[in-house]
Amino acid sequence: MRLADARALVPDLVTTPGDPQADQRLIETIAGWCDRYTPWVAIDPLGGALAEEGSEACSAGGFGGDAGLLLDVTGCAHLFGHDEAGERALLADLVARLTRHDFTCRAAMADTAGAAWALARYAERQADLFCPRHGQRDALASLPVEGLRLEAPILETFVKLGLRRIGDLYPMPRAPLARRFGDLPLTRLDQALGARDEVLEPRRAVPAFRTRLSFVEPIGRPEDIAAATSRLLAALCRQFEQAGVGARKLEIALYRVDGSVDRTAIGTSRPNRDNPKLMKLFEEKLGELDPGFGVELMILAAPEVEAWSGTQDVLPEAGALALSLGADGTIDLADRLALRLGAENVVRLLPRDSHLPERVQVSVAVSSQPAADGAWRRLAGLKGARPTRLLQRPEPVEVTAFVPDDPPSVFHWRRHAHRIVRADGPERIADEWWRPRPDGSRPPANTVPPVRDYYRVEDDDGGRFWLFRDGPYKLAANGQPTARWFLHGFCA
Amino acid sequence: MPVISPSAFASSDRRAANDPAASVPTALREKVRRLERANSVRRSGKAAAVPLGLPAIDALLPEGGLLTGALHEIEAGPCPSGRVAPHDGAALGFAAHLLGRFGPGTILWCRRTIGRFDAPPYAPTLSPWFDPARLLMVTAHRDEDLFWAMEEGLRCPGIAAVLGETRAADPTAGRRLSLAAEKNGVPALLLRAQPAPPQSVCATRWRIASAPSCSTPGLKDVGAARWRLELRRNRFGAPSIAEIPSWLVEWNDETHCLAVVPETLHGSSGQFFEERLFEERLVS
Repeated sequence: MRLADARALVPDLVTTPGDPQADQRLIETIAGWCDRYTPWVAIDPLGGALAEEGSEACSAGGFGGDAGLLLDVTGCAHLFGHDEAGERALLADLVARLTRHDFTCRAAMADTAGAAWALARYAERQADLFCPRHGQRDALASLPVEGLRLEAPILETFVKLGLRRIGDLYPMPRAPLARRFGDLPLTRLDQALGARDEVLEPRRAVPAFRTRLSFVEPIGRPEDIAAATSRLLAALCRQFEQAGVGARKLEIALYRVDGSVDRTAIGTSRPNRDNPKLMKLFEEKLGELDPGFGVELMILAAPEVEAWSGTQDVLPEAGALALSLGADGTIDLADRLALRLGAENVVRLLPRDSHLPERVQVSVAVSSQPAADGAWRRLAGLKGARPTRLLQRPEPVEVTAFVPDDPPSVFHWRRHAHRIVRADGPERIADEWWRPRPDGSRPPANTVPPVRDYYRVEDDDGGRFWLFRDGPYKLAANGQPTARWFLHGFCA
Repeated sequence: MPVISPSAFASSDRRAANDPAASVPTALREKVRRLERANSVRRSGKAAAVPLGLPAIDALLPEGGLLTGALHEIEAGPCPSGRVAPHDGAALGFAAHLLGRFGPGTILWCRRTIGRFDAPPYAPTLSPWFDPARLLMVTAHRDEDLFWAMEEGLRCPGIAAVLGETRAADPTAGRRLSLAAEKNGVPALLLRAQPAPPQSVCATRWRIASAPSCSTPGLKDVGAARWRLELRRNRFGAPSIAEIPSWLVEWNDETHCLAVVPETLHGSSGQFFEERLFEERLVS
C-alpha cells in the first residue's frame, strides 16, 4: 500500500521514515541477546531483505513483521529441562523475555530451520508453534506455500495452479516440478522436511568451549562479577584439561537485566589453561565492564583454542632463551602488557638480512621464535659503525660542504648549526633492486639503483650524528646540486 | 667543572678507612643501609650490586657497584658548550652498558613514541652490550601506561632489568618504581633525553654528555666514543671530594670495554700529548 492511499484511509496516520540501518542494529542487538540460549544464532537473510524492501515501500512497522532470527538450539535445551519439556521451556522463556522487553514476537521450534521458519510465520494455532520430533511433515501440510521461503513469481504460479498448501506439493512428481520451477522449491521443501541439510551461518564464530552461569538475583558488584568469572574460568579450565587444549582467546559476556549484553575479551600469546594467570588477565578487563542495573547471566567462551603442549616448546636454536621466556613468566608479563597497551606495542626484535639500515630490525609478536644466540652480534659485525638511535624518517638537513664529495663542514638541523670537526665515511649503501619498492612497483631494469652515502660526523660539541646524501653529487641544469642530505641517526 | 683524577678518589677512601674518627659515622651509615636493604636482597637471592667495570667509579658506589634493587636515573646532559644536547645517543649507550652488566634474563624496554620524529633504539648497535634477542620492547602512549608497564616488569621474576624512556618526572611513580625494584631486587633505569627535576628516591643519578672523541693523529676521523659522566646523586655510596664526581670515559667499539680516560688538564690536552708522542715515534 502506498503512503498516499494509507493517508486517504486513515487521515491521522502517524508516519515515520524508515531507517534500515537502525533496524539492522536492533536485530543485531536482539541476536546478541539470543546468545544466552545458544552460540549458534543466525539473522534470517530473507527477513533482513524483506525489512529493507518494506521500508522503501513505507509499510507500517519497523520490520514489517518480517525480520527473523534462526537459533540452532541442538544440545542447549537441557538447561531448561529434559527432552521435549526442556525445549518447550526454552521456547516459552524466549518469548516471555522478549515480550517483557516490549517486542511482539512469534517463535516456533522444529527439527529443521525451514519448518520453524514456516511455523513461526504461518501457524494458525498457538499449540502448533511447537513441532514435536519428526512431526514437521504433518505440521507443514496445512500451511500456505508462502512458508517455503520462495520468491514471489514462483508463489504466484503455484497459486494459479491451485497449489495453495505445502501439503499439496507432497504427492507431486518431483521431476516435472523441478523442470517447471527449477531446483529451488524442491530444495526448500526438502530442507523444511529434513531430507536435505541446511547449514545456518552463525552470526558470530561458535566457540568450541563455553560455560555459563545464571543468577537467581541479578548481581552488580565488581567483587561478585570477579567471583563469578573465577568460577566460570575454573569450569572452563576443566573442559580444557579434558580436551587437551589451552585458550588463546577468551571472551566473557554479561547479560544484563535490561536486555543488553556487554562483552570483553582477553588474548594470550600461547595456549593457556592456568586458571590464576587467566584470572589475572581478566582482572585488568573486568573494570571496563558495566553491570548496569544488574547481571542475570554470564557466559565465558573460548573462541580460539590450541593444542596444549604442557610447557613452552623448547626451540632448538635458542633453547635456553625460549625456556627462560616460558618458565619465568615473561610470556605472561607480555600478555598482561599487551592487554592494556595493545599487542602491536609489545614486541620482540628480530634481525633481518638487509643492507638498508631501517630494514635490519623487525618487530615481531612476543610469541614468535626469538633470534638465535649471537645472530645480532653476527649481523652487527657485518655492518660498519651504526647509530644507537635510528630516526624512523630521515630528517632533511641543510649542508655546507667545501668539496662536493667530502663530508660536510657544517650542517643545520632543527635551526641549529653543527660545525663538523671529525667525520668518517662515506659508506655507500645501495638500494636493494631485487626487492619491490614500498609502493609495490618493481624498479625498472637497466637503471642505476638509488644509493646513499653515509657519513658518521662529530660536531664541535662532541655530538655524533649519522648523515647521508641520497645519491652522488651532481649539478642540475640550474646549477643547484641534485643530491639532498638527511640525518638518519644519533651515535653514542 | 672540578677535575679530579681517579686515583684521588681511591686515596681519599683509604684515608677514611684508616682514620678511626671518620670510620664511626661510616660504620653507622653502613649498618643503617644494611638494615634498610637486608630484606630485599635476601628475598631476591641475587647479587646486591653489579660492578660497572670501572674501578674508579665502583669505589664510590655502595657494595662496589650499581645496586640491583633500586631506581637509577640516566639523563642526557648539556653539551660542553652549555647548549642543550641535540640527542641522547651517549646516554643511551651508557644505559645499554648498565643493562649489559645486569644478570641474564629478559630486558624490558619501555618507551613513549613522539610521533614522526621518533628515533627508537637501534638493536644492532646495542649488541656489543647485550644480546638484543633479550629485549622486550614496549611502546606506551601515555606516561601512566609506561610507569605501569615498568612496575609490572619489575614484579616479574624473569626480568633482568627494566628501562623506561620518558621525559615525565612523576614523584609518585618514581617512588612506586623504587619500592617495586627494592622488593624484587630488579634494577629500574629511567632514561631521559633532557635533564628533569631529580627524583628524590633514585639510588644514583647519572648525567651523560657526548665528549669530543680522539682522532687518529694526523687524521680527522671519528674516534672511539667518549662520554662525560657525572654522578650527580649517589644515595648509599661513599662520599667523594668533588661536589659532583665526573669522569671522561671512552667506549672502545673493538674491544667492547668502557674505560676511564685519565685527565690531567682541561680540554684536549691529553690528545695533544698523544699526538706529540705519535709524532716523536714517527721521527725516531
